[in-house]
Amino acid sequence: MDELIYTLKQQIIEALNLEDMKPEDIDENASLFGEGLGLDSIDALELIVMMEKNYGIKLQDPAKGKEIFKSVAVMADFIAKNRTK
Amino acid sequence: MANALQHNEWSGKTDGQPWMQRSLIVMFRVLPLWLPYGVMALVVPFYMIFNRKGYKSMYQFFRKRFGYDPWKSFWKVYANHFRFGQVILDRFCVYAGKKYRFITEGQELMDELETHPEGFVNLSSHVGNYEIAGYSLKPKSKRFNALVYAGETATVMENRQRMLSQNNMSMIPVKEDMSHLFTLNTAIDNGEIVSMPADRIYGSQKAAECMFFGEKARFPLGAFALAAQKNVAMLAVFVMKESYKTYHAYVRVIQCDRDAKIREQMSQLAQNFASNLEEIVKRYPTQWFNYFDFWKQ
Repeated sequence: MDELIYTLKQQIIEALNLEDMKPEDIDENASLFGEGLGLDSIDALELIVMMEKNYGIKLQDPAKGKEIFKSVAVMADFIAKNRTK
Repeated sequence: MANALQHNEWSGKTDGQPWMQRSLIVMFRVLPLWLPYGVMALVVPFYMIFNRKGYKSMYQFFRKRFGYDPWKSFWKVYANHFRFGQVILDRFCVYAGKKYRFITEGQELMDELETHPEGFVNLSSHVGNYEIAGYSLKPKSKRFNALVYAGETATVMENRQRMLSQNNMSMIPVKEDMSHLFTLNTAIDNGEIVSMPADRIYGSQKAAECMFFGEKARFPLGAFALAAQKNVAMLAVFVMKESYKTYHAYVRVIQCDRDAKIREQMSQLAQNFASNLEEIVKRYPTQWFNYFDFWKQ
C-alpha cells in the first residue's frame, strides 16, 4: 500500500502540474480539497481522468466520488480494491 | 463570503420575480413581438440609470476596446441594453411557443462530429443568445448536455427543462459537491455532447490568460481542461441576433496541437476560443453581455 500511495502522490503532482512539490510534501491523510492540498473542481476533473487512464477506474457515482477524493490514502485504498489495470 | 459558485461581479440570474416571468410567458402567447420591444425601448434608460455598475462597465468597454467617443459610447450602451432586453424577451417568447428564423454557418461541422462515436465539447459564451439555439437547432443523434448556472429562477429552469427535453437535451447544474464533473465525464465517455460556458469564471479560479482585444484576459479553464484531458473535439457556437425575428448562428472549430502537453493544449484551446470570440464581438459589438470589467475577472 505504501508503494501505491507514493506512486499516487507522484501521479497527482504530474497530473496537476504541482511543480514545486515532492511526494514527501503531501500528507496522505490530509484533505485533498479545501484546507488540505487546496485542490478545486478542475483538479478533481483531472484526478477523475488520471484514475481512468492509469488504473482503468471509471467513476460515475457523484456521491462516491466525493468520498474517494477525501485524501490520498483513501484514494489509494479505493484504487487497490477497484483497479482493472 | 461569496458563494464559490457565483461569479464575483455578476449573478448570472435573469431579473424579475418568478410570477413576473410566468406572466410574461402567458402574455407572449397573444402579444405581437413589437409591443414588448417598444415598451422596453422606454424602460432601458431607467435601467441604465439604476444599474450603474453595468452601465459603467459597458461604457468603458466601448471607450477602451472600440475607441468610440463618449457620445457614441453612450448610445452604444443604450443599444447594448436594448439588445440584451430583446434576447431575454425572445427567450420568453420561445417558452411561449413563438418561432424564430435561424441562419446557420458551420452546421456541417457539428453534423460531421455527430457521425463519430466520440463525444465533444460545445462552448457557449455571454454574447448573443446561445440558449435560444438549443430550442431550434437540434442535435441529430447525440444527446446534448448543457452545464448551467444552478442559481437561476425556478421559472427559467422549469421552462428550459421543458423546452430542452423535447430536443434530446438535458441540463447539468453546477453544484458545490462537484457532482457535475462526474456527469460531464460520463457524458463524454458515452459519446454525448457537453456544452459549457467558456467566458465567466465560476467555482474554480483556475484560468487561462489569453490575448483578448489587445490585452490579457482570464478565461475559465474548465471546458478546455475537459477537452484536452479527454482528447475530444471542441466547437464554439455563437448565436447572434441579426434582425427582428432572425438569428445568425456561427459554429467554429476550436483547435490545438494535440501532440503538445496537456497544459499547453488547454492554453491553445483557450486562446483559439478567445480569438474567435473577439472576431464575433467586433462584428456584433452591442451583443457583448458581460456586465463587469472582463479584463479584471
